[in-house]
Amino acid sequence: MSFPTIEFAAFFVVVFVLSWALMPHPRAWRPFILAASYLFYGWIDWRWVLLLIASSVVNTVAGQVIARSPSEAARKRALIAAVAFDLGLLAVFKYLSFFVSETDSALDSIGLGSSIPLVQIVLPIGISFFTFQAISYVVDVYRGETRAAPLVEVAILQAFFPHLVAGPIVRANELLPQLRTPRDPRTVLAGPAIFLIVGGLLKKTVIADELARRVVDPVYNEPAAHSGAEITLAFYAFAAQIYCDFSGYTDLAIGLALLLGYQLPQNFNRPYLALSLQDFWRRWHMTLSRWLRDYLYIPLGGNRKGRLKTYRNVMITMLLGGLWHGASWTFFLWGGIHGAGLSAERWIRERYGGLRVPAWVAWLVTFHVVCIAWVFFRAPDLATAFDVLGGLGLSGPSPLVTLPLVLLVVAAVAIQLLPPDWWRQAEAWFVARPVAVQGLAVGALIVASDAAVGQQGVAPFIYFQF
Amino acid sequence: MEPARDRDLTLPAGRVLGVIVIALAIAVLFNSEAMVRAGEGMQPGPTRDIVLSVARPIDDVAGAIGMHLPREGLDLAFGQEDKTASGTELERGSAAILRRKTQEQAFRQPTTADPLNVLVTGDSQAEFLGQRLIDQSPEGLLEVTTVARNGTGLTNPAFFNWEINAEQEVADRDPDAVVMAIGDNDGFNVQTADGSLYDPGEPGWETEFARRVAVVGSVLSGDGRRPVYWVPPPTARDPEFNAIYASQNRAAERAAEATSALRYVDIYSTLGRGRYSDSLTIDGKRVLARQADGVHFTREGAVAPVRLILDAMAEDFPVLRDR
Repeated sequence: MSFPTIEFAAFFVVVFVLSWALMPHPRAWRPFILAASYLFYGWIDWRWVLLLIASSVVNTVAGQVIARSPSEAARKRALIAAVAFDLGLLAVFKYLSFFVSETDSALDSIGLGSSIPLVQIVLPIGISFFTFQAISYVVDVYRGETRAAPLVEVAILQAFFPHLVAGPIVRANELLPQLRTPRDPRTVLAGPAIFLIVGGLLKKTVIADELARRVVDPVYNEPAAHSGAEITLAFYAFAAQIYCDFSGYTDLAIGLALLLGYQLPQNFNRPYLALSLQDFWRRWHMTLSRWLRDYLYIPLGGNRKGRLKTYRNVMITMLLGGLWHGASWTFFLWGGIHGAGLSAERWIRERYGGLRVPAWVAWLVTFHVVCIAWVFFRAPDLATAFDVLGGLGLSGPSPLVTLPLVLLVVAAVAIQLLPPDWWRQAEAWFVARPVAVQGLAVGALIVASDAAVGQQGVAPFIYFQF
Repeated sequence: MEPARDRDLTLPAGRVLGVIVIALAIAVLFNSEAMVRAGEGMQPGPTRDIVLSVARPIDDVAGAIGMHLPREGLDLAFGQEDKTASGTELERGSAAILRRKTQEQAFRQPTTADPLNVLVTGDSQAEFLGQRLIDQSPEGLLEVTTVARNGTGLTNPAFFNWEINAEQEVADRDPDAVVMAIGDNDGFNVQTADGSLYDPGEPGWETEFARRVAVVGSVLSGDGRRPVYWVPPPTARDPEFNAIYASQNRAAERAAEATSALRYVDIYSTLGRGRYSDSLTIDGKRVLARQADGVHFTREGAVAPVRLILDAMAEDFPVLRDR
């Protein structure tokens, strides 16, 4: 089930009412919210729910063994088994086809034609997210950062429907304590919730889908058929599209959870204002960044084992972060550009520690490195990515370049310039209005967002494919 | 409990429910046409039945009291075109169209100075076909525009009417040739002009489908002024879909025999010799040719059907043979 659909609207009204009605009775609330989340997830294919349940059972058992076993060796074995299971799920569903296909090509290229069957495997939606959450849970139990939880709590941690499909990636100690304390129905954080939901919807429908349909998709489908001006617009437009698409989804997820009384971690903090790549990764997909930092970069040694190993660790982290998005060379290169950029920044800092660069230069360079990397993220293959980059300066007629589209790209960056205090004041003002005015305003904006996408409907969120 | 600083941002759950209910009521009343359309676009089943049984009466009332007007104004502001209409040839026309005689004519041959303007359209299958048509065709001879209308088909005109859309597309773009790849979503029953209802698999369904192909094909071709290459779905992994797609292919072939400049491109029985496989051998190299749904081509796999399309196009434009 996707958020901007009729089915989800009906589903959420029922869940909202029952969730608050059952809130004082945790024994009833927990199975209810779990069942609702499984219904949400299994709406398209119920078999995926079985996979999710299997993941919850394995990680719960591992967590219990780790917590109860006095032997360090047994604790470690349980941790390794659980992480191997989680990564095994990803390997089979996400990477096996790519691996087999590449192996087949490699064998073929050296004259060893293979007979490995090439099989396309259905990728369960959200598997990258719930798998990373599972790994985070067992590692945190192993490190003593969270208590081992019963099955129903681990299952809710993984399956809670607002974050199930595309994050934010929630850590156990962020959600489990909230699950253990009934929420207060008198103080629902409605102001931020409603602003996030409506804002997320408008970002997706008015900016992301419009840019995708009118310029990004046509140019990336056929770069050779477009002029330099059109390619340049698409170059910036995809940066705007992916921000509005992914942060729009996250806004919806966080807002819906807030309406149910639960706070999910922030995932975006005005990323295109970043003055360095390090700064960018503290603002973009923040829950993935900290996952990679805490469960990959630091265990690899972080920056504690000398300069060269630090660069190596940065590169490994970012390359694997790229491959987390999908099994393709384009994502690998996207991660590689960020890894090389982060390493270069570190080198410059170490070598020219006192070097002062004007903020606008730092912003300009950071933003353009991010945009260049996005070309590889968006392009279907490396050849197309290089066609796009190579076509940036070419001349030719540019019917796709229109003022409204340029303004949409500018708007996507400009909304990040608004001071957070303004939003807070607007939310407080909204909360103080009569209920009829609130409902009318929200309803009108829903109608407007539906009109913006028109008859083709809302396109799937980009991060659903990961 | 929320921190004291956030108290001015909170509301009781009951009042939040009031906001949600009012907002959804406003959205449903002013958006009732879109809600009916969304219901029409759903796959047959209980969800679709429930949505339509709720949305249609609301839409009748909303339309009668002028509540469609604000949405129509917004559609105008956003430049949205209506893709549905009642009483079109697609829904109500006669099967006599399948008994027409075709008239052939010669078409302008492309050169690098004056390339062929090709519109690739249809459902989501059209996306990769359009992309690969560019790199598989002789350089500089084709200018390809791809317009994929995801989730659409010929058997659900209440959701998306391809006759209306075809008229709008050819009026806007005036292409020299059209590639039409459609059929993946055509699992709906069809009603003929005399009120008979046929399910997929019945002979009456196939005849009605052929008639609809002929109607849309005629519009796209401008009654024979430009060639239309009709590409029904390939084999599917799911046997039920596969049977429907076979029926569509027979229907498209029949329609092409009765419609001027409408060419049937058979990728169903040509690729993999009519047997479904996730992979295909292209230029001596095996590639994963199908997506995980067992219907759509991958970007790599789309090369195979595109070459068949180019073969068909080369019958009308011999210069395309040199590739």
